[in-house]
Amino acid sequence: MTAHRLEARGLTLAYEARTVAEGLDVSIPDGRVTVIVGPNACGKSTLLRALGRLLKPVRGAVLLDGQELARIPTKRIAQRLGLLPQSPTAPEGISVADLVSRGRQPHQSWWQQWSPEDEAAVAEALERTSTAELAERSMDELSGGQRQRAWIAMTLAQGTDILLLDEPTTYLDIAHQVEVLDLVRRLNVERGRTVVAVLHDLNQAARYADHLVAMRDGRVVAEGAPGEVVTAELVREVFGLDSVVVPDPVTGTPLVVPGAPWAARADAADAVDAVDAVNAAEA
Amino acid sequence: MTTVALRGYSVVRAGRASFLLHRRSALAAVGLLLALTVTVVASLCLGESTVSPGEVVKVVLGQPSPDELVVGEFRLPRVVVGLLVGAALGLAGALVQTVARNPLASPDVVGVTWGATATVVGLMAYGVVGSTGQAPYAAVGGGLVAGLLVYALAWRRGLHAQRFVLIGIGISVALSSLTSVFLTKGDGFQAQAAKVWMTGSLNGSGYDQAGRLAWVLLAALPVALWAARAQRSISFDDATAVGLGLRLDRIRLGMALLGVVLASCAAGAAGPVDFVALMAPQIALRLARSAQVPLFCSALTGALVVVVADLIARRLLAPTELPVGVVTGMVGAPYLMWLLIRSRRGGS
Repeated sequence: MTAHRLEARGLTLAYEARTVAEGLDVSIPDGRVTVIVGPNACGKSTLLRALGRLLKPVRGAVLLDGQELARIPTKRIAQRLGLLPQSPTAPEGISVADLVSRGRQPHQSWWQQWSPEDEAAVAEALERTSTAELAERSMDELSGGQRQRAWIAMTLAQGTDILLLDEPTTYLDIAHQVEVLDLVRRLNVERGRTVVAVLHDLNQAARYADHLVAMRDGRVVAEGAPGEVVTAELVREVFGLDSVVVPDPVTGTPLVVPGAPWAARADAADAVDAVDAVNAAEA
Repeated sequence: MTTVALRGYSVVRAGRASFLLHRRSALAAVGLLLALTVTVVASLCLGESTVSPGEVVKVVLGQPSPDELVVGEFRLPRVVVGLLVGAALGLAGALVQTVARNPLASPDVVGVTWGATATVVGLMAYGVVGSTGQAPYAAVGGGLVAGLLVYALAWRRGLHAQRFVLIGIGISVALSSLTSVFLTKGDGFQAQAAKVWMTGSLNGSGYDQAGRLAWVLLAALPVALWAARAQRSISFDDATAVGLGLRLDRIRLGMALLGVVLASCAAGAAGPVDFVALMAPQIALRLARSAQVPLFCSALTGALVVVVADLIARRLLAPTELPVGVVTGMVGAPYLMWLLIRSRRGGS
């Protein structure tokens, strides 16, 4: 399977008159999990929307295999690049299998509505996301985590090399968050899919990303492997938060521990001292 | 190869070709066709004089019969126009509701029907045309202009469904006021005739109306087939639909345009028959239990509603024949209220 390269060159993105990002250059490494992080309204979801041709850049271009997205027919894009928006909505009462089967749309035509290949792709997508046993159930009956797995199954059935996921863990409890992120990691490793995800949680990003893109105010502040990028310095620069970065006891990836919570004065001073002490020792 | 069963669908494969059939939609369509046949025959039998079904069938098949005049000349054209008007309205409603993703949206709610009405009433009241029958093209033109105006005003980097409905309601109110102005300021006698047309009536319908509508519906068929396929992804949110490779803006414009043309043509043939376009798709949706509004079933349901309503309109206060729009309005108004109450409670 040949992987396609996705790049953004000199992107300026805006909603109406409000410019969200200017002059963005981002290259998405093939076959890797790239996670975009940053504070609210930093433009991370906007960047993802532009990568998925949901938002037309004011200037610059998104290139897919060296070709400008705006010049590729949208159905051809859909055969190479799948996307899952932040809160997708499905028609009322639709079954999981029906939903997932609709991911095959870009491969179908009026005279090829349900080929054996479609069937195989849907079966595999259900299998991989462990939603096969839910296939007959209605989406309305599922838990948040199950529903999100079904949506991921739909984008998988689309059979694209590149997957864009906009905050796939929002509204999920921690167990389901881990379940979804593990699934994404597995798809990447076992199927070599290129994944670009926007995540809120910096620690999860550090755990699951091969490549981290940190944004603030519409600019890319830092880019690279989480182990090199995530430092107390960066957390302060990007989120404006004092923190201590320690190795994650399980994975060894950077773990961001925020400064002490607000407390009565004397304790607070101690806590600030503690943060400073750890960071000084690191330096 | 692993397989997966799509519950509720039948697959037909021939060589490289494959077709997906929603079983319940097909079943509903057959049921609706049967019901339609029965009501059409009943509608042809009942009237000032009752004709036996056997004679009715003879007349329809073109065999000589003593009831040729009553059935063939008086009742059949009216039933055929009712059938076609209903089908056009049902399909138009289904298309507009799909575009707006809202069961409250329909050509009569979003201004199209009022555009046709205001145009025809204006032309009549100021003596430009002698009768409403001379104005089918004006009705289509008026409906199209109103529909496109609403569409353009609701456009903001793509079509915003909620704006579409709200702006449509606003335009409807403005156009209905304009219509009242025409009715009060124009020629009184002509205005009276326009008023009857405004309630939506099949009285005196003839084959020329039927012929025009039949052509429009025939032309709409391939577009509707294309739209039905696009419906599979258009029923998701915008981002997901685009992600699946749908040219959303173009498809929505195409669907809305077809809906507007169909609704305007129906208004041109029989005047604004209220609420059919609003109700029929939702009834069809419940019959077919499909994930999206079924287009073909909506057309059949619309036809059934109008034929039944017209039968009631003819017989309820016989020998006085009520306009069919009065009957659909009496059923439709409570339905609209029920929809509003339900959506306020956070339903679909």
